[in-house]
Amino acid sequence: MRPFATVLPTNSPVTAERAPTAPFVGLSALWIQITGTWCNLECRHCINASGPRAPWLKPLDAETIRRAIAEAEEAGVKEIYFTGGEPFLHGEILPLLDLALRAAPTTVLTNGTLIGPEQADALAAMAARAAYSLEIRVSLDDTDREKNDRIRGEGAWSKALEAVRLLRARGLLPIVTATEITRGEHPAGTGMYQRFRDFLHREGIERPRVKIMPVFALGRLPANGEPPLTEEDLEGFDRSVLQCADGRVVAAGGVYACPILAGLGGARLSTGSLAESFKAAPLYHPACVTCRKTGMTCRNS
Amino acid sequence: MPQQLSEYRRIALIGGVYSNWLALEAALADARARDVEAVFCLGDMGGFGPHPDRVFPLLREHGVLALQGNYDESLASGRADCGCGYTDPRDNHYAAVSYRYTFEKTSREHKAWLGTLPLHRRLKLGPHRVLMCHGSPRVINEFLWESGTPDGLLRHLLDRAEADVLLCTHTGIKWRRALADARHAVNVGVIGRPENDGRPNVWYTVLTAGPDLEVEFVPVHYDHETLAREMEREGLPPEFAETIRTGWWTTCLENLPARERARGKY
Repeated sequence: MRPFATVLPTNSPVTAERAPTAPFVGLSALWIQITGTWCNLECRHCINASGPRAPWLKPLDAETIRRAIAEAEEAGVKEIYFTGGEPFLHGEILPLLDLALRAAPTTVLTNGTLIGPEQADALAAMAARAAYSLEIRVSLDDTDREKNDRIRGEGAWSKALEAVRLLRARGLLPIVTATEITRGEHPAGTGMYQRFRDFLHREGIERPRVKIMPVFALGRLPANGEPPLTEEDLEGFDRSVLQCADGRVVAAGGVYACPILAGLGGARLSTGSLAESFKAAPLYHPACVTCRKTGMTCRNS
Repeated sequence: MPQQLSEYRRIALIGGVYSNWLALEAALADARARDVEAVFCLGDMGGFGPHPDRVFPLLREHGVLALQGNYDESLASGRADCGCGYTDPRDNHYAAVSYRYTFEKTSREHKAWLGTLPLHRRLKLGPHRVLMCHGSPRVINEFLWESGTPDGLLRHLLDRAEADVLLCTHTGIKWRRALADARHAVNVGVIGRPENDGRPNVWYTVLTAGPDLEVEFVPVHYDHETLAREMEREGLPPEFAETIRTGWWTTCLENLPARERARGKY
């Protein structure tokens, strides 16, 4: 087993100033990196190298979050997402989710390990009284316990699955979110979606919901040496479909272009208000190549 | 100079038809009996159902004023898929089967007509300035679900469009919202397939001008068994016919928000 790396994410050598850009077409998704990179797990493929010790990106205070939600609502935001780190480590996660749900449909991305019966009850009550949908995305990288825990840490599989069961028992339909990190360890044939759906059915989870994400070579994973995008790479490509064209991330230090690059200087578009970040985003990082190639979005769909 | 808009008192709105020519026939007859001045269709004529070419003569005979949906745009421009944007291979499989069938069975003439349809229509309904679109005013295939569409977004879209009433379809489930400032948004539903509630009927919408806007969702009961049999005879997936018979969606569930998904069977 490869030991956990402790390399912090770094900016690409290509400067953001010289990079091609994606236009800003309007705020559709607001992301809130509520716990920064503070997490109780230390997954081997984490895109922002989150972990339990000395997070390189600090958690946000509640007031910053409240201001961002108010500003986003005014701008006509369609969806709000809470991410980290692990959002349920934040002392005010529940009231802040509640507040966000008054403005827009809200999703929280969690590893599920801190969701016990009490949290599940609170989330179910919140979802029932909200005007809009509350979505809970629980990360699970493999249907196999051993393969999953090798990536996410001992016990992560059981706890995540238990969270899914607790939420399901209360009428919530969490979205199980996996990356393709262990894809190569399974025989070709049955696709990942089907494997996860079959697995969840076997575990008694009706109406299983699954989202699959590509692996990004940053954070705790080593860079893959891919050069950043050039204007030539983007010829004939509609840049307005990239998530940095209609999403923004509030995290410690300001407002950033996308959830993958939150906290990195090159992706920072504002050190103050959300509105100040409503401008073209530089496609400067090798991770932008993955978005361009896969058409992926961190949003639910 | 401000655009001169046609004025109406009562209109009928039909959402996605999805080749359900039997429901279209029934909805049009029902609308005529309700003294509507015009019938509008908000796009997506084909997909899912059998014999797509049977829809067009009905639209023509009844003078239906249509918009272009994403399916229409795809068919007209020869795109490789329906433009619904699924990522789950299961959803994509069914979407591809449906699109291939519809593409092959829609005449060149009808595809060309779909290409001429406008993306938006504006009119006045009494004092209300109405904007019609397929998905959202900004993106043809944007899903505006009831539990996924915040008031703030509706205000933003209405402001930008300088409209009081926003009408859309695309999701397949009707809803209405009266905003605090007396503006409205209505997803008019679809007549192509039932709305995932275990009942086989479909829905269209009648809007009547008044000091406030009157919104009536009208259930359409039609010969769904005949449609389901036609789908089977045409070799369309049995899962599609099951939806027509039972009212439960069996495919393309990926984009449903939690609340709408929880109401369905699958």
